[in-house]
Amino acid sequence: MKYMILLYGSQRDYDRLAGAPVDEEDWSAEQVAAMYEFMAAWNQELVESGEFVDARGLAAPAQTRRVHGLKDGVPVVTEGPFAETEEVLAGYTVVECASVDRAVEIAAKVTKSPNPGFDQGMYVDVRPVLEGAGDLGGDPEV
Amino acid sequence: MGERVEGLLRDLAPQALGAVVRRYGHFDLAEDAVQEALIAAATRWPATGVPDRPRAWLITVASRRLTDLLRSERARRRREETAARQQPPADRPAPAADQPGAADDTLTLLFLCCHPALSPAAQIALTLRAVGGLTAAEIARAFLVPEETMTRRISRAKQRIRESGIPFRMPSPAERQARLDAVLHVLYLIFNEGYASTSGPALQRPDLAAEAIRLTRIAHRLLPRDSEVTGLLALMLLTDARRPARTGPGGALIPMAAQDRSRWDADLIAEGVALVTRALPRGRTGPYQIQAAIAALHDEAPSAEATDWPQILALYGVLRRISDSPVVALNQAVAVAMVQGPRAGLDRLAALAADRRIAEDPKRYAVRAHLLEMTGDVAAAREAYLAAAERTTSLPRKRYLYGRAARLPVGG
Repeated sequence: MKYMILLYGSQRDYDRLAGAPVDEEDWSAEQVAAMYEFMAAWNQELVESGEFVDARGLAAPAQTRRVHGLKDGVPVVTEGPFAETEEVLAGYTVVECASVDRAVEIAAKVTKSPNPGFDQGMYVDVRPVLEGAGDLGGDPEV
Repeated sequence: MGERVEGLLRDLAPQALGAVVRRYGHFDLAEDAVQEALIAAATRWPATGVPDRPRAWLITVASRRLTDLLRSERARRRREETAARQQPPADRPAPAADQPGAADDTLTLLFLCCHPALSPAAQIALTLRAVGGLTAAEIARAFLVPEETMTRRISRAKQRIRESGIPFRMPSPAERQARLDAVLHVLYLIFNEGYASTSGPALQRPDLAAEAIRLTRIAHRLLPRDSEVTGLLALMLLTDARRPARTGPGGALIPMAAQDRSRWDADLIAEGVALVTRALPRGRTGPYQIQAAIAALHDEAPSAEATDWPQILALYGVLRRISDSPVVALNQAVAVAMVQGPRAGLDRLAALAADRRIAEDPKRYAVRAHLLEMTGDVAAAREAYLAAAERTTSLPRKRYLYGRAARLPVGG
């Protein structure tokens, strides 16, 4: 079974990571490097165990384009629709593993990342991935 | 021994595949057959020793395997008569063609993988697979896509070649230049993918820059007199030479002017300079040679200040006449600034604001910021650095640009 592990972050988190001028303290180069190293090792371990399927990080929330329905035949597009502190999807890792318990175990490791957020209520989600028509209820034999 | 066999097999793989496809057709099945022959060799040779004619050995084993594959394919669904005609006689003695033809086969294979009927993504995947000998899993990891995606991409590409009936032969003289340009472009894209991804959080990805250099070396060996192949190889070596100095701790970007030049790879520079020196006076002057010549001038400068900017500016002038790329225009603006002063460079940049391809590109804002800083207008420079950082998606680049902005006082 495949599981998607979803990681979240706000525009403010991205700004601190990128060293943008914000009120809160920015991350030092060393802190960023430590986090990269941690995340790379976490992913690498999954590659080596054969559980890794896919992983992606998303660019800052401010670079989002939200596409609404058509208005007068033209799609309405909003740029950077999120509030600065709103937690949005920041990245994901898809794993294929034996059980949800194992997926949770993998996800628990990432909360040990040297990211202060996890001490302050930050979390990750683990969600089973549907595989196809059968899972979606489209297969009459199921 | 193991490593020696591995290196040998990687060199022989495209030659064997080329020979089998040339004789029997069926690119898709031939690829499977050669893979199995390679696996057999990789497991057997370290124990038994490398046979006297390793290439012929591979071709024989792959041809037999192809026969089996064609038989089972026929059994599964009755194949058209053409397939039967192309079926290899089971006991045909392996290839006398151990000598000539071997090189041509690799080259023909390269042309086939970069055929214009395939999308660029498919050309890249197939080239790395069939000529580079990387596994689908390795290519998938290099491009950060799931393995299934890459496997599908490769098999679709092979299917496309089969369906469109593209013959396995060298392109005609009339189309040869365009086809070679496509090959060089694919190699260039593979190199760039590898070079651009050397910073930031990443899995241990196969080194695509090194792979692109290896493949371009093969192309250069096969076409030693083509000045653009030589130019592309020189460009890759001269660019890769700077890699050790390009990033600091934690993947922080270091611009060329601030790099520790003692960390540049002197051997690669010497090789690249020798190649470009040989290529320049000969044959058509193409974009890769000119870019290599520019890279050589940077690499040979003992310091950023001592760079021969007038010569670089002249080369950008030549490059602009044959390339409409807005990135080239952007680099030219930098060279103008270094020779004629930052104001002249800024005028060039202002003109580029009308080019939709690059007007909102973070690179244009970043160059603008650097040039404004050179004029002493620090307030405007700071704004431009921030604008560039906001438009960049790469985290290391963002950190670099915000860092530059932070050094400048607010309101100048």
